[in-house]
Amino acid sequence: MHDLRELRAEFPILSRVLPNGKPLVYFDNAATSQKPSSVIDAMSGFYETFNSNAHRANHTLADEATTALESARSSIAAFFGADPSNLIYTSGTTEAINLVAYAWARRNLSEGDAVVLTEMEHHADIVPWQELSKEIGIEVRFVPLDLDKMALDMDAFQHALDGAALVGIVHTSNVLGIRNPIEDIIRLSHESGAKVLVDAAQGAAHERIDFNNLGADFVALSAHKMAGPTGIGALLATDEVLSQCGPFLTGGQMIRSVSTEGSKYRDGAALLETGTPRIAEAIGWGAAVDWLSNIDFEKMHGHIKHLAITASNGMKEIEGIRVFSDPLRPESSGTISFLHERIASDDMALLLDEGGFAIRTGQHCAQPLMDALGVVSTNRISLWIYNTEDEVKSFLSHLRMICERFGR
Amino acid sequence: MTERTWPEALDPVVLAFEDCFDAMERYELLFEYASNAEIRLPPDDWNDENVIHGCQSRAHVECSLDELGLFRMRGGADAQIVQGLMEITRIAVDGSSCELVADLNPDFVDAMGFRSALTPSRSNGFMNMLDRVRNEARRLSEEYV
Repeated sequence: MHDLRELRAEFPILSRVLPNGKPLVYFDNAATSQKPSSVIDAMSGFYETFNSNAHRANHTLADEATTALESARSSIAAFFGADPSNLIYTSGTTEAINLVAYAWARRNLSEGDAVVLTEMEHHADIVPWQELSKEIGIEVRFVPLDLDKMALDMDAFQHALDGAALVGIVHTSNVLGIRNPIEDIIRLSHESGAKVLVDAAQGAAHERIDFNNLGADFVALSAHKMAGPTGIGALLATDEVLSQCGPFLTGGQMIRSVSTEGSKYRDGAALLETGTPRIAEAIGWGAAVDWLSNIDFEKMHGHIKHLAITASNGMKEIEGIRVFSDPLRPESSGTISFLHERIASDDMALLLDEGGFAIRTGQHCAQPLMDALGVVSTNRISLWIYNTEDEVKSFLSHLRMICERFGR
Repeated sequence: MTERTWPEALDPVVLAFEDCFDAMERYELLFEYASNAEIRLPPDDWNDENVIHGCQSRAHVECSLDELGLFRMRGGADAQIVQGLMEITRIAVDGSSCELVADLNPDFVDAMGFRSALTPSRSNGFMNMLDRVRNEARRLSEEYV
């Protein structure tokens, strides 16, 4: 890994001083990561030098924009071990999952078919299936969390698989930072005849996901949690499931021909991309994966894990703090949820903000998991590659002060 | 003290906050207002009718007129910062005419050093509560003839 000081210097925002004079300590990476200069410059460069629509005209700028858009697709696909023809640009993970629900599931599932989800899912992987259930009568099954192990109940998962048509599984929990045994889940699901949709919004920022090796049918991604811009993500889908998809959004780009008599559509991924693409965002994401390609993910994981263990151990020593995550487990990422027994999570977030610490509070779009944990909301810190041990120590010191002054 | 745009009842409150050494001391004082609030809406009375939308934490407010036609409010929240701001708002409006409450200016929150409570993205909790109180004052004023 780069020298940490050099690496931090690539992220201009990390030198920001907040209006109250406190230096920013950014611990909200599971919500969105910060962006290196190379990403910012790539997007500015597009608008400053070759802004044009893609796939539409023969002039020089259009050619440059099209080339850049497709070059980014190739870079992103290669980063994820996928063929570019298996990558559909979306607005993010939420749209990617909805794309599966609308373009694939509505054509391949029918009344009584079962979709298996888990209590750890983000709302983005729950609500589309509940809507489909209302619409065509699919059954939605939820696999519970084993609260003693703070892990998915795999016995219950295997039981839920019986006759299931699709499994929607979050790669890494955005609340607990726990990575699910994705490989086992995919194997068991396929043995049972179910397709698998992996929500890799969090996981992609913490480990190299190889689509072809993983073997999932669908993988949903967001650029903005892995150094890329907001507003873009992707659905990776195998040739098999792509061939089973129908149109979702219809209009320009996805058509072969349109007449007053009717329209003919393109095949594969092209069927599922409609309208003007997110060109600047794709270029930014391409720059992000280029940047990440120079990062040793194993070293990054070790660095984040060290910080998470330091943070978690320190938090457990503070009276009144309950920590819901276990960074000591090898499969854990740098996300730690916690709660003080007397300080409301909203109050805690504002008091930490006063010290310059950007953390997340609330239900984290995971109300079923909040219910399973028996809480209404939690505070959450989520660490990434550019965070430092000094930041963690400073956070612990401020947290201790808050608990002493406000948690009596 | 900055130029007053708030009811006189809030003068000592604003002065107390202006005397605070730093932000954390201001928050401590706000927590004190929250914990010392004697008139509050208990959780048993929290319902969909009096919920304040837009708060990340749970917040409820109930407004009424007393036998003299003066405005009364009770607020309840699970976050102390919101509860504290509710209590200070209650001090501002309690026993006032509906007309005064309907025109209540939120500047006192800024004067107390909680400008962030008024910024667009974080104002939801406080501003939605204040909007509810002002709207209730207008509604009650129309009903009380």
